[in-house]
Amino acid sequence: MRWARAVISVLTAFTGSTAGANDEWLDRLEERLSFSAWDDTLRARLSGLLSLEGYSIAQPPPGLLFTQSDRLFNPRLAVFLNAQVGPRLFGFVQARVDRGFDPSNDRLRVRLDEYAVTYIPWANTPFNVQVGQFATVIGNWVARHDSWENPFINAPLPYEHQTSIYDTEAPLSGREFATFSPGEKYEYNPVIWGPSYATGAAIAGRRGPFELAVEVKNSGPSSRPELWSIAELGFGRPAYAARLGFRPDLRWKLGVSASDSVYFAPGAQHLPPGTGRHDFRQRLLGQDIGFAWRHLQVWAELFQVWFEVPRVGTVRTVAGYVEAKYKFTPQVFGALRWNRQGFSSIDDGAGNRIRWGNSLWRTDLSAGYRFTSRTVMKLQVSGQREATQRERLRMNYAAQFNLRF
Amino acid sequence: MNRVLRVKLLRLLGPLVAALPALPAPGAEIVGRVELPKAHGAPVKTQNYEVVASSGTIPAPKPLAVVYIDGEFPPTGPAPTVQLVQKGLTFIPALLAIQVGTKVEFPNFDDLYHNVFSFSPPKRFDLGRYRTEDRPVPSQVFDKPGLITLRCEIHSHMRGQILVLNTPHFVVTDESGRFRLAGLPAGKFTVKAWIDSTTTRERTVELLPGATLTVDFP
Repeated sequence: MRWARAVISVLTAFTGSTAGANDEWLDRLEERLSFSAWDDTLRARLSGLLSLEGYSIAQPPPGLLFTQSDRLFNPRLAVFLNAQVGPRLFGFVQARVDRGFDPSNDRLRVRLDEYAVTYIPWANTPFNVQVGQFATVIGNWVARHDSWENPFINAPLPYEHQTSIYDTEAPLSGREFATFSPGEKYEYNPVIWGPSYATGAAIAGRRGPFELAVEVKNSGPSSRPELWSIAELGFGRPAYAARLGFRPDLRWKLGVSASDSVYFAPGAQHLPPGTGRHDFRQRLLGQDIGFAWRHLQVWAELFQVWFEVPRVGTVRTVAGYVEAKYKFTPQVFGALRWNRQGFSSIDDGAGNRIRWGNSLWRTDLSAGYRFTSRTVMKLQVSGQREATQRERLRMNYAAQFNLRF
Repeated sequence: MNRVLRVKLLRLLGPLVAALPALPAPGAEIVGRVELPKAHGAPVKTQNYEVVASSGTIPAPKPLAVVYIDGEFPPTGPAPTVQLVQKGLTFIPALLAIQVGTKVEFPNFDDLYHNVFSFSPPKRFDLGRYRTEDRPVPSQVFDKPGLITLRCEIHSHMRGQILVLNTPHFVVTDESGRFRLAGLPAGKFTVKAWIDSTTTRERTVELLPGATLTVDFP
């Protein structure tokens, strides 16, 4: 009830008849949260994003949702600090208060998610060096992953669908590897875990229509959030990733990404004798495309990912999606996303060939309404079908209110 | 010139002279200064999820004011078309004053996308994403008086304002707050200085033909 009252209060305050006045009030707050000194050489700005989201889901929960209830309320406050010293040195911090990096039943906690320093050595050359804990350079979803930019409430399938990859324990057989236990859902890994805010360094540059970014991080794209911090995992087994982009004109963005990393967590159990976690790698190859013009935006990504699995061999999965957003009016938009993931066959240890995951497709449909320039409500319905013995369409619903300040 | 020739010339030019409209009385003008508020902090160039960052600083917005004669005036001609451009991650000019009915074009002179929109009650619109070379240049006709706050969906620091007025007699101050409002009709009027969405100062003045009046808004 306490949550419900808080949600209703926020919604009423920022969507009712005084919404326009609140927009102005938030503009003034933004001005007060901006700071500059030394003749504007040093500049800083605090900003934030409040998200209130609710889910009505079928068990087991889809994607990176962790709850045993059919309904989940997940408030999230993200606070951003952006700073700039002169024209070539930038800093960025993101801290969050929420019920876990991914929505769950946990209590509210404060967490530092991202921090980075970006330096541009030459004023007129688009080339930069970035150091810190920040989102991966792989693909094109990262640029719209926060709840304000994302036309949906969840992530595309490759960024959240948990496969049978289990980073804390090696399987004892192919059959065990291919058996997904919903009760241990958090132990499994997707091919890319969200925006993958791992720690490390990146260099990126642009020449003509081409851009190249290369990063070295402490953990790979499928690693879980607990392993992204330098305090949890050092650079003993660095992960490498790169993206080559091509932009023939403003409307089009194309890219290919690749990564090579260790995917087992430190202390992973049941690794074959004489091997270490560094002997088993995740390799990723991705293609992405984006188009934007007027009120239409379209994105698509396709990933092929290989995991070297002890006692099983190299397994492969292909995951991708196509997503489009269209603004019908200044206030109303709609978005549609079609996701698909398939898995290769393995030997189950008894001479049979089995898929190491259930092939699936998911369709996400989202509608958004902007009450003001700083508030938006999104409603989403998702239908997912997996190739299991009891194949059925599972429907999940979600609503999200966002306030940006 | 002898008398006969002078009479002939007057007879010849008389109808032409009579057909000319009467010359307008010389316009009045108001000069003065508006006390402007302090500038806010200069914006940070945020590039959080840009793979390739670019160097540079965004100029701090300078407070400006609009000084205008309040009231209803007869139309002075066809509604003009003016431009408000996106350049260097800012709106130029940051404050535009126009008369009701004016068409404003919004060309994008940056080599990246912007997405200009307004949720202000007098005019809600969203221009979407477009390139410098896209034609026609997206535009809007502002047919209701009021304040329009312009924003960019992609660059949240970008802010522009359009003050749509009923009167054709207005001017935007310079950065020191000085203004000169010329070509005004004679009579008794209210002069207003719009400073921001919550602050408008006003004075009542009597304008005489050809006279210059000094009005300050401290």
